[in-house]
Amino acid sequence: MSARQQRLLDERAAATWLEDGMTIALGEPAPMAMVRQMIARGLRDLTVVAGGLAIDMLVAAGCVKKTISYYAGGGTAVPVAPSFRYAAERGEITVWECEEGILTSGLEAAAKGLPFLPWRGGVGTSLAELNPELKVFSDPIAGQILLAVPAIEPDIAIVHAAAADAYGNVQHCGGPGWIDLFLCRAARRTIVQVEKIISNEAVRADPWATTIAGADAVVCLPWGAHPFYSRGYYLQDIPFVEDYVACAAHAARTGERSALDGFLDRYCREPASHAAYLERIGLERLLALHEY
Amino acid sequence: MTGADRASDYTSRELMAILLARDLVDGDHLQVGVALPVPEAAVRLAHIMHGPNMELIFLGVRMNVHTLEHLPLPAYNWDCRVVRWAESYSDRGHRFDQVRDWHRRVFFIGGLQIDAYGNSNLIGIGDDPTRLRLRGPGAVGTPTLTTHVGRYYIVLNHHDRRTLVERCDYISAVGWDRGGADARQRLGLPGGGPKYCVTPLAVMDFDEHSKRMRLHSVHPGVEVDQVRAQTGFELIVPTEVPVTAPPTAIELEMLRTRVDPDGILRKR
Repeated sequence: MSARQQRLLDERAAATWLEDGMTIALGEPAPMAMVRQMIARGLRDLTVVAGGLAIDMLVAAGCVKKTISYYAGGGTAVPVAPSFRYAAERGEITVWECEEGILTSGLEAAAKGLPFLPWRGGVGTSLAELNPELKVFSDPIAGQILLAVPAIEPDIAIVHAAAADAYGNVQHCGGPGWIDLFLCRAARRTIVQVEKIISNEAVRADPWATTIAGADAVVCLPWGAHPFYSRGYYLQDIPFVEDYVACAAHAARTGERSALDGFLDRYCREPASHAAYLERIGLERLLALHEY
Repeated sequence: MTGADRASDYTSRELMAILLARDLVDGDHLQVGVALPVPEAAVRLAHIMHGPNMELIFLGVRMNVHTLEHLPLPAYNWDCRVVRWAESYSDRGHRFDQVRDWHRRVFFIGGLQIDAYGNSNLIGIGDDPTRLRLRGPGAVGTPTLTTHVGRYYIVLNHHDRRTLVERCDYISAVGWDRGGADARQRLGLPGGGPKYCVTPLAVMDFDEHSKRMRLHSVHPGVEVDQVRAQTGFELIVPTEVPVTAPPTAIELEMLRTRVDPDGILRKR
């Protein structure tokens, strides 16, 4: 009789699952501790399914070949992610042009084992011209003009959540966000980084709260979404994000990368562990981000 | 008391928020995206002033905050605390699960380019899509939203020839395509399309037959010729162009005390 297998890994062990050339999907908020691992390991030629500034750091670090992104901006910090913009304008990365409804349709198709799913949003736009994998077709039932969105099947989805037990039962705080569950259903394997590990008894006390059942790996990374938010735990570190954007924008504008490379070294490549990263950020700064 | 406290002295962004608020109807479901302070203020102002049955949808959170005394701006943008006001969370399933029923939903859109038929471009500018001169952020959810919502508003921070062009280099959201009253019907787009384009200079609507952009009103102090000169396509200009009704004292007071006490929209 053997014991039930636990799925707890540390961030370095989880990062060994990630390989050059893979398609890796990032949830919302972005699982930044694992993103830093990707940069530290110097991964190359990734296809990244993500939105927001996490894409930008990966592009800045040279990890990305292709983005599958509905939105590469930084909210109030910057209208267009600077490194993404620079690399896309020079043809250094390929952009698989899409939008939210097209992306979720492709992810659903993958999860359901279908070659494609139809979607209406995007009909009449330039999306299908820019992305030849999207096919405009006349549907065989009602003859309507629709887009066929091919299945998008990430090798690995990485998401950030509030808590999980050792067996991969995951709980988000205040709902799973809009994209995480699509990514996890579509991906071949799922890594979830969490603020804390809870007991299996706590999961069984409220199984309705389980948002992802059976994550393949659980990594305990408190403050792991920093500099972004984690619902119920902490807010976005706005000055930190602005510092990053300033470094990236300077590099994009002038071609002079020393500040950007210094930023990536200091926060992604040099810290030997997630705890070492948090020490660089500092307790005072982290505690000031507390949500309530 | 500074000059900005008088009802005769207001910024164009305050005026734009007030104009949009006047056009919103009680019972509307108002969805506002990230980093759009003017529409966000408009929606909250309308909700307080005449919209007790409006539903506000920010970041997947659905709320009715009509009775709340004060909501700071712009805390909602990427601020997870918005869930404090949620009555439900549309992201529980899929935010696009029920697009069939979006006739009451209203949306707001900007763009790198807006063209004469209200199409918008968030993709980029330049002839070669692999070497764009300006790479934009991407379409976000605007193709699906503009396909299905009952109506939407185009809101621009700048009124210039670079933004308002005859034809977008790339279209990320369809307004009235290449024109004609049946333009959207031909594509099978169920939503009502763009109603107004609101800029710091003027309000434009769309001609009923051609669906080409038409000058609706010019803001106080703005000349029709100035709007023409700063628009990169030939606007339809009626013989009589009214002046936009300026903010009332009550509108400005509500905006400044209840919606935008930090004066985000007062920064020029």
